[in-house]
Amino acid sequence: MEQAEKNKTGAIGEAASTPQASLRQGLLDEIKRLRRFSNRGLWALSLFLMVSTLAWRDFWFLPAAQVITAALGAPPTPLVTSLVLVLYTFSAIILSLSRMMSGLDHKSSFCHVGYLAGFYLFYYFAEALADNYWAVFGAGFTVLCLESYRIWTFCSERVTRKLEQLAFLDRTGRLPPEEESLYD
Amino acid sequence: MFDKIAGRALVPVGLVVTGFLAVCFVLLYAAIKQVVIRDSIGQANNLAGIVLKSTRYAMMKSDSDLNRAIIQNISAQNGVQHVRIFNKRGVVAFSSKPEEVNRQVDKKAEGCIVCHEKQAPVTTLGNMQKARTFTNTAGDEVLAITAPIYNDPECANAACHFHPATQKVLGTLDIGLSQEATLAALASIRVQMLIFSILTLVLTIAGVVTLLKMIVLVPMRKLQEYTERSERNVDTLRPTDLPYELDKIAESYYFIRIKLNEIEQQSFKSVKDAGVCTNK
Repeated sequence: MEQAEKNKTGAIGEAASTPQASLRQGLLDEIKRLRRFSNRGLWALSLFLMVSTLAWRDFWFLPAAQVITAALGAPPTPLVTSLVLVLYTFSAIILSLSRMMSGLDHKSSFCHVGYLAGFYLFYYFAEALADNYWAVFGAGFTVLCLESYRIWTFCSERVTRKLEQLAFLDRTGRLPPEEESLYD
Repeated sequence: MFDKIAGRALVPVGLVVTGFLAVCFVLLYAAIKQVVIRDSIGQANNLAGIVLKSTRYAMMKSDSDLNRAIIQNISAQNGVQHVRIFNKRGVVAFSSKPEEVNRQVDKKAEGCIVCHEKQAPVTTLGNMQKARTFTNTAGDEVLAITAPIYNDPECANAACHFHPATQKVLGTLDIGLSQEATLAALASIRVQMLIFSILTLVLTIAGVVTLLKMIVLVPMRKLQEYTERSERNVDTLRPTDLPYELDKIAESYYFIRIKLNEIEQQSFKSVKDAGVCTNK
């Protein structure tokens, strides 16, 4: 009889603690994901530095620019590529700042590495990489640093909020009521 | 650093302005450099044309002494590094350096390979293709132009020495010009642009810092000091001349403090009254 009573109490306690435990686990997983995500910008920056090293060595593994030009046709002139690079840098900075302002969860870092590698290649095909290398490097470094900063601040804010929720959950056994942000 | 408003606001601004300015600086300098080099190649091509026109009469007359004198005089000009005329077989026929005369030149050498890359040599070249740059033994940057000497009808039909009409190119003129003046001009442009960029950067950052401090940081500090002081002393005066938003916060805080003070006084009074009643 006493054993049955004990089992009943245990079952009720487990039922009460299971949702709390799953909520807690969910919050911990989310914090872990955010901490992992906060390094995304740095990974993209590292990849870009690797691509830049290849460009610095004049893409030694690629066929000569004349061979590619003979096969694919003449590339755009360096002036046109430079104009597009300025336009791209300006747009990327404005986009990143807008996302920073509105607090959007956007994972755009790695595509920038692709765009920048494209600029390196176009300059390489036009045989103007030596003159324009630092322009692409500067553009990439600026855009990716800004993106890293945006992702890092976004994740830091989210992690702080999740930690507060975790503390509230531990204290009261439930999540704090969802409040609509006054600033959104 | 990133906990404070100044750090959070200034890092992206500094990064964006510096990065964009650096990109524009490099691209603008590359574009200017291209224009300056294209101009200097154009001028070098014109000079090569002048040399060819000057030596044309002497060549028609097969006057070697006159040709030699013209080449010596041109090479004496400031900035001219070398002048050579090659015949069809690639042998130096005339040169500003007498020791080079009658020497065979390797067709694979820089300046020759442009036309002799394939089995059949190229007979026409664009202005940019005629040019090449290299560093000579003295360590000077040289811009050289290789201009073909074409077989005109008067050359083919000349009485003095006959060239068959089927021979398109009779030889080449190779003229080397010092790049010293062009490089000095580019260096001067680079320094001026760098100074301009640094000044723009400093002014932008200084402007942003000043405005941020004046509009946000100083009023925030006032508000922070007010809240800290009013915790110790209720009669602390509300700071004036705050921006609208911060003034609203200060006002709300002021009324909250007054209410809190009233509640504290009431509870103190009721405790005191209760103590008096108990004593009675």
